[in-house]
Amino acid sequence: MSTARQRRPVVLLRPVPGTSVIHELWAGTKLIVVFVVSLVLAFYPGWIVIVLMAALVGVAARLAGIPRGALPSIPRWLWILLLIGCVLATLGGGEPVLHLWSADLEVGGLLKFLRFTALSIVLLALAAMVSWTTNVADVAPAIATLGRPLRPLRIPVDDWAVALALALRAFPMLLEEFRLLYAARRLRPRPVLPDGTAKRRRWLTEMVDLLAAGVTVALRRADEMGDAITARGGTGQIAAVPSRPRPADWVALSICAGVCALAIVLEIRGLG
Amino acid sequence: MGGQRVGSLTPVEMAQAAVMGALSAALAIVSVVVPFAGGVSLLVTVPMGLLGYRYRLRVLLAASFAAATIAFLIAGISGFMIVLNCAYVGGATGIIKRRGGGTPIMIAVSVVAGILNGLWIIAALTALARLRTLTFEAMTANVDGVISVMSQFEPFRQSARQTRAMFTTALQYWPVLMMGYAIFTMMIVSLVGWWALSRVLERLRGIPDVHKLDVLTEMGQVAPLPIRLSQARFRYPGADHDALRPLSLTIETGEHIAVVGANGSGKTTLMLLLCGREPSSGRIDRPGTVGLGQLGGTAVVMQHPESQVLGSRVADDVVWGLPPGTHTDVGRLLGEVGLAGMEERDTGGLSGGELQRLAVAAALARQPSVLIADEITTMVDQRGREALLSVLSGLADRRQMALVHITHYNNEAEIADRTVNLSDSVDNMVMVGSAAIPAPTPIPTPGVTSNSTGTPNSARPVLRLDGVGHVYGSGTPWAKTALRDVSFTVNEGDGVLIHGGNGSGKSTLAWIMAGLTKPTTGSCLVRGRRAHEHVGDVAIAFQAARLQLLRSRVDLEVASAAGFSPSDTGRVVSALATVGLDGSLARRRVDQLSGGQMRRVVIAGLLARWPQALILDEPLAGLDAASQRGLLRLLTDLRRNAGLTVVVISHDFAGLEELCPRILHLENGVVASAAQATGTAGGLP
Repeated sequence: MSTARQRRPVVLLRPVPGTSVIHELWAGTKLIVVFVVSLVLAFYPGWIVIVLMAALVGVAARLAGIPRGALPSIPRWLWILLLIGCVLATLGGGEPVLHLWSADLEVGGLLKFLRFTALSIVLLALAAMVSWTTNVADVAPAIATLGRPLRPLRIPVDDWAVALALALRAFPMLLEEFRLLYAARRLRPRPVLPDGTAKRRRWLTEMVDLLAAGVTVALRRADEMGDAITARGGTGQIAAVPSRPRPADWVALSICAGVCALAIVLEIRGLG
Repeated sequence: MGGQRVGSLTPVEMAQAAVMGALSAALAIVSVVVPFAGGVSLLVTVPMGLLGYRYRLRVLLAASFAAATIAFLIAGISGFMIVLNCAYVGGATGIIKRRGGGTPIMIAVSVVAGILNGLWIIAALTALARLRTLTFEAMTANVDGVISVMSQFEPFRQSARQTRAMFTTALQYWPVLMMGYAIFTMMIVSLVGWWALSRVLERLRGIPDVHKLDVLTEMGQVAPLPIRLSQARFRYPGADHDALRPLSLTIETGEHIAVVGANGSGKTTLMLLLCGREPSSGRIDRPGTVGLGQLGGTAVVMQHPESQVLGSRVADDVVWGLPPGTHTDVGRLLGEVGLAGMEERDTGGLSGGELQRLAVAAALARQPSVLIADEITTMVDQRGREALLSVLSGLADRRQMALVHITHYNNEAEIADRTVNLSDSVDNMVMVGSAAIPAPTPIPTPGVTSNSTGTPNSARPVLRLDGVGHVYGSGTPWAKTALRDVSFTVNEGDGVLIHGGNGSGKSTLAWIMAGLTKPTTGSCLVRGRRAHEHVGDVAIAFQAARLQLLRSRVDLEVASAAGFSPSDTGRVVSALATVGLDGSLARRRVDQLSGGQMRRVVIAGLLARWPQALILDEPLAGLDAASQRGLLRLLTDLRRNAGLTVVVISHDFAGLEELCPRILHLENGVVASAAQATGTAGGLP
């Protein structure tokens, strides 16, 4: 999959090395912030809200010391698609009109398109910030704590948190196995087939074979993991240190709430 | 299940939910992140369907939650939605399948699901009116752009106007559109999921269940010691001989007992009996209950390092599964196993030996009366083995507990107080065909006509590496240098061992030589051509042989790997003969092969393509002594007689001197030393 130039890969579930105020925040706080900000953006996707939320993410990224290199390389076709979108939207015209020297340019369409793109980028950046600053091991215990109010509703929050913790543990191992499967497939010669029907049938068989190989490996891993859980006497604690918010988290949550409230007020005022 | 709530997931269910959840999340993420791989999302239904088919609804729910959360963390809301949709469809498919329902029921269910999904989308878009308006406006702007371009040209003007009108009408009736879309996609996903699940279930029928430990339902005081076996014997249901022949044994507190014996002599069966399985005949007496994994009970550490460890962080793994509220001195336990100060480390980055010592620490956190170590050094390199043994020695005395150390290395038994030998078993089978290898057919090398097979090192270079360096994640904060300025040449008929410890970069080097990874700097040439542009010229056999067997049956597998028709029985049989396997194995299912046979089938498929060289990644790991000897003899013969160029990647030297006279030692990504072993590898550890 490597191309001629060095492209920065997408790095999954690994925090940026080092520590910062943001790294130190409780994982639950970050999840709440992402949830609340996403909700606000979904209900009020106006310019003011988008800009304020982008500023919030930007300041957090600055505090967390996220270098530019953490961003994966954006493939060229995505840029081209964006550009085409921009041009088409501009041609679409619409209010307001921009007076550039002697020419009038209707930029309403372009603005709408840009707003939508900006919204998508802020939402992506929000999720990326969690991934860049949170140790995977902290997510499940935080969710167990956050889900505590759901226990009286007979929702098995603790089981879910354990399943999540184990899934996060198994995830990199499965990814590695996929990498091997993909490599094993690349090593094989491409079968030469006469007609279309046979080709399609062969392709389907191959898909099932690959899937079956992947599932077989996963099943084996699950069997071994089941044994390991039995050997520990079943489930119980999942973290050595209790997972709960600290004073800094309340500060962070208050800031987030303040910014969200401000954004909503400005948005409603601005429109009204 | 001491202390578990009623209805809570059992260990097996929990593990299945977690692993299948992770698999679903991985598939969903691939479908979102990799361009043009959207179709992969349809396959997310399969793992979920499997759970629905095999387990309770509770398991499916836990898996869906785990998968959706991971997908959300990585791929955002779209990953989340894919997982939820597929969990629903897959789960329904699995449950219908289990209840014996057919395709019509599946279609009916998918229509209902589509309607529900459509209603949900409509409700969400109604509530999020502003987001809806923005999305529609952004779409309208783009459509208007296209239309204004079209209107510039007379012939298109009419159709442009119509398109605009149609689009506006469509947006006006968006709920209808959304509903139609929801039903349509649900039906497609359901049908594909149904088809794929049926095929996969068919395929999975013959897969052996490798899980061993039983969950016990026992009441009373935990007190496994002293344990007395009197003529205890065990035979698996349906087997024609005993897995463990009658054994009498007493284990007391403070004892360190080694259990040795060949493969199949019943070592693992003895472990199961000590963990609470009832013997077929004879008696096992304990003062109280076994208390597997309970405080003061029985603790077990098993063979596979990666599977033992359940926490993502070292400190979390030590306490994993302890009853809530138990206080544990993690630092002291880690110190005891030689991992002091590693509390905050990620378990993903530990070596095999470190993982096993961590598993021992987790076992000790239960303050067990008995600790059973079942072949814990098998998958660990030499240095790791020594560290593990030094942890075990004296443990029984110090901790006032019994230590049962099961091993197939006789020298490991020396540190024990006494040894129980289970050998001389009837089940000590010999590998098919390993006794008599047929005269190997010379492997023709394309491009080289006259190849005098008797003289290796004929100085014709096959692989030439020049200043090869590799950095993972180059340019990101996670950049990690794996290799630096590696240069060497492998000649025709050479046998080279690339030796190095954990993280030395040897696997990266193997991938570069096979052309699977393009090095960041330098070049790797295969007969003068760049390796990464000719994947397949150099064959590579991975350590995980099962992952390289992509077809269901041996003949299909060999044919697919070599690129000839599976109906060409002659070639299949001769390919199998090259690796010393009997032709009768051709129709055998891949999942019914032993570890050694799997490795041989992989090599058969690779060699049938006449590769320039064969790279083997840890070829001996996980094989018992007899299979190891057989495989080594086969490879040595192939190199000597057929002129095969062999590169072995390993963290061990043991037994490889003859196959690989040349040794490259890799340390931290650089070649630390190169040695040419003459006759015996005397000077090396």
